[in-house]
Amino acid sequence: MGADSGPGAPAAVPWRKVLYERQPFPDNYVDRRFLEELRRNIRVRQYRYWAVVRETGLIAQQVSCVAVFHTLWSCMEQGDLVPSTVLWVCLGCALLGYGLYEILGGACVRERTRLADLQSATIFLAFTFGFSPVLKTLTESVSTDTVYAMSAMMLLAHLVSFPYAQPSPPGSLSLNAALFASVCLASRLPGALHTFTMLSCALLVFALWPCLLHRMREKAEWSFPWAAVLVCLAGVGGLGSLWPEGALLLSLALLTLTLLCPLLLVHLQRHKDNIHGPWDEAEIREDLSRFLN
Amino acid sequence: MVLKIFFPQCCNTADSGLLVGHWIPGHNSAVVLAVIHYPFIPGQVKKYLSELQSQTQVDLTVLGSWSMPKEGKEGMDSFLKDLSTIFPQKCWLQLSREIGKRGFICQGDKIILIHYDQRKVMLSQLHPVQDVSQKSDIEPSELRLVFQTVAQSQPLFFLDKYDDGPLKLTHWQSEGREASIIAELLKQASVPVCIFLTWLLSLWHWFLLFISSKLSTCVQSGYRAVHFKTVFSPKKAATHMEFMRKANIFVSFLLDIALGLLLISWLYRENRISKLADTLVPVADRVAKELQELLEWLMGAPAGLKMNRALDQVLGRFFLYHIHLWSSYIHLMSPFIERILWYVGLSACLGLTFALSVLSDIVALLTFHIYCFYVYGARLYCLKIYGLSSLWRLFRGKKWNVLRQRVDSCSYDLDQLFIGTLLFTILLFLLPTTALYYLVFTLLRLVVVLFQGVIHLSVDFINSFHLFAIGLRICRPYRLAEGVKFKVLCQEPGTPLHLMMEINPLKCSSVLQCYRTPTYSCYPKDSWAALCKKLFVGELIYPWKQKTDKTD
Repeated sequence: MGADSGPGAPAAVPWRKVLYERQPFPDNYVDRRFLEELRRNIRVRQYRYWAVVRETGLIAQQVSCVAVFHTLWSCMEQGDLVPSTVLWVCLGCALLGYGLYEILGGACVRERTRLADLQSATIFLAFTFGFSPVLKTLTESVSTDTVYAMSAMMLLAHLVSFPYAQPSPPGSLSLNAALFASVCLASRLPGALHTFTMLSCALLVFALWPCLLHRMREKAEWSFPWAAVLVCLAGVGGLGSLWPEGALLLSLALLTLTLLCPLLLVHLQRHKDNIHGPWDEAEIREDLSRFLN
Repeated sequence: MVLKIFFPQCCNTADSGLLVGHWIPGHNSAVVLAVIHYPFIPGQVKKYLSELQSQTQVDLTVLGSWSMPKEGKEGMDSFLKDLSTIFPQKCWLQLSREIGKRGFICQGDKIILIHYDQRKVMLSQLHPVQDVSQKSDIEPSELRLVFQTVAQSQPLFFLDKYDDGPLKLTHWQSEGREASIIAELLKQASVPVCIFLTWLLSLWHWFLLFISSKLSTCVQSGYRAVHFKTVFSPKKAATHMEFMRKANIFVSFLLDIALGLLLISWLYRENRISKLADTLVPVADRVAKELQELLEWLMGAPAGLKMNRALDQVLGRFFLYHIHLWSSYIHLMSPFIERILWYVGLSACLGLTFALSVLSDIVALLTFHIYCFYVYGARLYCLKIYGLSSLWRLFRGKKWNVLRQRVDSCSYDLDQLFIGTLLFTILLFLLPTTALYYLVFTLLRLVVVLFQGVIHLSVDFINSFHLFAIGLRICRPYRLAEGVKFKVLCQEPGTPLHLMMEINPLKCSSVLQCYRTPTYSCYPKDSWAALCKKLFVGELIYPWKQKTDKTD
C-alpha cells in the first residue's frame, strides 16, 4: 500500500491529489489519506416492512386487473352477460371515474380542456364502433390455441413493462400489448357488439383506471390501499366463479407478492455492500513470485 | 545512323525528278509520297508544296532527287547536284536506278528502302485506333506516323497525268483517277437530299418522344431515327470510327429490311394472316378463363391456407370484374382483328427488328390486365408493409426521426396509441391474404416480362451486331490493320537493303470487340439482390427498362 513509505519523499512540498501538475512524487503515490474518501452503502435506504407492503399493492392490483378482464371476457363468451348491459355499466363507471378524477384534482391546473377530453372520447367510440365488424373477422382463420397463446404472451408483456414508478401516462408498450391481447380475445366473441363492448372494457381497465389510481394516491393517500384490496378481491372472486382452483392460485400468488416478497426485500438489505468514492492508486508490495510456477 | 526511306511501289519505274515527301520527326526516316518530273520551275514547286501543306496539315518538303536513266538521256547527274542548293535541306537524298539492276543506288548515308503499296496504306487504319484530335501522352510510333502521313496526304494524289498544270507528278493515282458518272452525280445530289431527310427525321423524332416510350415499337423507331440522323448528316465522316459507324448503320439496316421482307413473304403466303387472326381471339379468351379460375381458387381456400374471408371476397370480386371488362373488350374488337393484323404485318417491311418489336407490343397489350392486377396487388402490399413497419415502431413507443434518419423514442398521446394499436392489429392479420394475391400476380407478371425480355434481347443483338466491320475484315482485310510485316525484296552487296511492307489484318475477335455498337442496352438495371428486395417490399419492378442511347 503506497500509503506512508514513499521513496524518499521530500517533505518540503506537500503532495496534492491532482493530475495536471508535475510533482516530485511518482505517479502512483498516495499519502496517508489512502482510501479516506471511501464510503459504503450511502444510498441504502432502510425499508420498513409495511411501507413496502403498501407499495406492492400496486403490482398486485395490476395483476388482479388482468384477472378481472379475463373474467369479463369469459362471461361474455359463455353468454352469461349481455353486451348492452355491460356497455351501460361501462359507461356509468367511466362517468363516475371521470367525476372522481375531477373532484380529486380540483386545485390542479388542467392540462387538457374538457372539450379535448370529449373529442378523445368521441374518436375512441367512433373508431371502435366502426372497426368492430372488421376486428371481429380478424382471427377467424387462426386456431384457438394460437389466439390464447398470443393473448397470454401479450398480457404477460403488459405486466412486465408496466411503468409502476410513474403510471399516469401509460407506457406505450404495456398499453399496446394489452390492447393487442384484448383485440385478439375480442375477435373470438360471437357478435360485433360483443367486440365493441370488450374493447371499451379494455380501454377502461388498462388505460383509464391507472390514471385514476395515480390521482387517488397523490391526493387521497388513505384510499389507495382500500382500492387495491377491492380490486384484488374482485379479481379473485371473478376468477373463482369460473375456475375455483385458479382463484386459489391467484390468491396464493397475490399473498406471496404482497406479504412474502417485501419480507425478502427487507431481509436481504443487510447483505448490501456498495462502495462509493473516488479511485486511489494502489501499489502492490507483496511478493507475487509464488504465482509464477 | 541508318536512314529508313519508305518508297512507294508505283514510283519504282517513274521518270527522273524530285522526291517529294515528309521527314518523320523524331525518327530517322522519311516517307516519299510522289515524284515531280522534269521540267519544272522551282518557284512553282515551292508554291504548290506550300498550298498542299495548308490543305493537308502535313509538312511536305522536297526530300531529294530521283534518277531513272533512259536510252538517250544522259548527263543528269550534274544537274541533280545543283538542285540541292535550290531546295535547301538538312539531308539531301540522291536515289538512282541503273538499267538491268534490281537494287537502287544511293549516294550518301547508309539507307534501308522500305517499299509500300501507296493505295493500300492510304486506305488502311492501324489498330488500336487513336483519335487524331485526342491529346494523348503516348508518342505515336514511327509506323503510326507513316500511316498517318500517307492517309492525310490524299489531296496530293488528285493531280494526274491528264491535268494541264505546270507540274507533272507520279503517284498511285497518276494514271488517272477512278470515278464513275453515277457516283459523281449521287455525291452532288446527296447533300440537299440529306438536309431534307435530316429535317424530316428530326420532326419525326420529336413526335415520337411525345408519344409514350412504353411501346417498344416507338423506342425502336426512335432509335432508328437517331441512327439515320447520323447516316444522313451532310458532314462527311471526319474520323475512322464515325465512318465505320455510318457504314454499319447503313448495312445493318439493309439486312434488317431484307429479313423483314423475307418474313413478309412467308407470312402473307397461304393466307397465314387470317389463320393467325382466327387463333388470336380464342387464345385471349382462354387466358381470361384461366385467370378467372385462378381467382376463384384464391377466393376459396388455396393450398389449404386460411384467408380472411371478407377481404378475400372483396379482392376476388374486384379482379373478376376487371376480367369481365377485358373479355367484353376483346369480343368487341374481334371482327376488326384480321384487318388490323394485315396492316400491322406490313410494317415488317421496315425491318425484322420492327416486326419483333410489334410482336412484343401485341403481347404487352394482350396481357394488359395481368399488368393491371400486378400494379394493384403491388400497391396494396407496399402500402401494407409501410404501414406495418411504422405502426410496429409505434407499438414499441418509438418514432422515425426524418432529420437524423434513425429511430428515436417518442411519447404518444392516449388516442394515438389506441388507434395505432387497432390499425396495427388489423394490418397484421390481413397480411397473409394480401401477400398471397401479390405473390400470384407477381409470378404471372414475371412470366410475361421474361417473354418480352427474350424478344428484346434478340432485337438488341440484331441492332448491335457490326456487320460492316466483319464484312470488311473478310473482303478487304487490309482496311483494318493491326500492324505490318516486312519481306526482304533484294539484298545485293553494294546496294541498300530493299524491304517490302505488307499489312497485317486485325483479328476477328478484336474486330467484334472494337466495333460493338452501344445500343439502348436492355440488360436488367437492377442486380439480383436489389430485385429481390424490391419484390419483398412491394415496389413496382420494370426489369427491362430501356436507357436512351446518349453515347458516341
